[in-house]
Amino acid sequence: MKLDYSLVTRRTFLNTLFGGWLLAFLSGSIIALLRFAFPTLGKEPDFVVLKADDFMNIPPNSTKPFAWGGKVGLFFRKDERTRVALKGVCTHMDCNVAYKPEERKFYCPCHKGWFDENGKNIKGPPPKPLEIFEFTVEGDKLIVARKGVKVELPKA
Amino acid sequence: MNCQKLKDWFDERYDTSALKKFAGEKLVPSHRHDLWYYTGGIIVFLFSIQFITGMMLAFYYVPHADFAHKSIIEIVTKLNMGWFFRSLHHWGSQLTIFFLFVHLFAVLLLKSYRKPRELLWFSGFILLGIAVFFGLSGYLLLWDERAFAAVRVATGGSGALPIVGPFIKAFLRGGIDVTGETLTRFYAFHVSILPLATVFLMVLHVLLVQVHGMSVPLSLQERNLPQTPFFPNVVYKDMAVWLVVLGVTVTIATLFPPEIGQKADPLAPTPENIKPEWYFLFLFQTLKLFPGEILGLNGETIAILLISAGILALFILPLLDRKSRLGEKSTLFTLIGIVYLLYFLIMTLIGYLS
Repeated sequence: MKLDYSLVTRRTFLNTLFGGWLLAFLSGSIIALLRFAFPTLGKEPDFVVLKADDFMNIPPNSTKPFAWGGKVGLFFRKDERTRVALKGVCTHMDCNVAYKPEERKFYCPCHKGWFDENGKNIKGPPPKPLEIFEFTVEGDKLIVARKGVKVELPKA
Repeated sequence: MNCQKLKDWFDERYDTSALKKFAGEKLVPSHRHDLWYYTGGIIVFLFSIQFITGMMLAFYYVPHADFAHKSIIEIVTKLNMGWFFRSLHHWGSQLTIFFLFVHLFAVLLLKSYRKPRELLWFSGFILLGIAVFFGLSGYLLLWDERAFAAVRVATGGSGALPIVGPFIKAFLRGGIDVTGETLTRFYAFHVSILPLATVFLMVLHVLLVQVHGMSVPLSLQERNLPQTPFFPNVVYKDMAVWLVVLGVTVTIATLFPPEIGQKADPLAPTPENIKPEWYFLFLFQTLKLFPGEILGLNGETIAILLISAGILALFILPLLDRKSRLGEKSTLFTLIGIVYLLYFLIMTLIGYLS
């Protein structure tokens, strides 16, 4: 069938065809590239298992670091009887904090943030207290877990 | 040496008369503010030092969390002139960023961004952003304690932006934490993505300067300024300035080789008295001003939002400054420029001294 009139010229038709093809190709490629460039995220662990001997008997008023995924956890012996496990990462900008035994406080040197011995933010920019973990001792194992997480160890 | 035959060979194949004519006729106005014209050329020169020293360092650097720190120590201790080229690369980057800021504030206060040069401002602004990211990514490649903490803070800060923050943070880190994944990512940025973007934008920037010619300050544009030929007068002056810059850079690089800290350890506490590079100090100091909570909102988010707004406003300044676009005196924007400059200087100084 031959049309006398057409709303679309041959040029417009071809431009649309090639333009559309190019657009589809480019957007598809860009999405694929972006998805490749964006990392597959791991996640923080729900719990870690440590050796109880290494941590339970550290001197009072001191801390010992442990690996909490890629971050640092601190096992803190407040006094003879009280022990706390917490995440040793400042809630402001993710710097590692250090425990200052003489002041009984946690300190973040990046922006001068302070936390008291219970992990509460008391001075400087940190917006939230340090994250406190729960821990249990089972035999020679020390299990440090995120609050409210049920730990099921594989039977061995 | 006169290679007439070679010239003839070339001329028979390519017609360069238009280029020669353009070069011969290019004029640069002389006036009391023309000193600032040299900052642009200095940046091009310093960038070329960075490219050359960077290429050399890439021969020996190993971008892997286990080996990066050791490979740099080997570059500075075992290789011929290794200490010098690393030091030159370090100080070259410091001076590049310094002159980029000088260039930015000169353009800002002389209002060279005004119509028709808006695209020059935008491309230059992006180049400054790229240079800062160059600095940050190059810094992480050291993989020492300070670099590790600095990148944690910088990427963590971007995470405080609402909605897009977590995406940007994960994209930059290559995961939820700063790890070896971050190192390879920053290496890719530092040696491939950023250099290509820089070359592209810098060529565009310089070409736009040729299209528009040199900008003359508003206060002088009515006058009949004397013009100096670009070839050879201004070129010679440029080269003399570059020679001085080269001398200064090499001297500093020789006398003050940058230190290398302890290898990064994700479980170690952050070192005391840690400070970012000087060009981040004004941001660092601003962040310290904000308390953890403001009216029940996260102080950090508010701080990052305000900083982003301030930077964005500076970026689109040519669109906001209506008066200078029409060629009129624009006192308000001179004041805004001075406020930006003073804020930058004072905060950097406080950050440096505190």
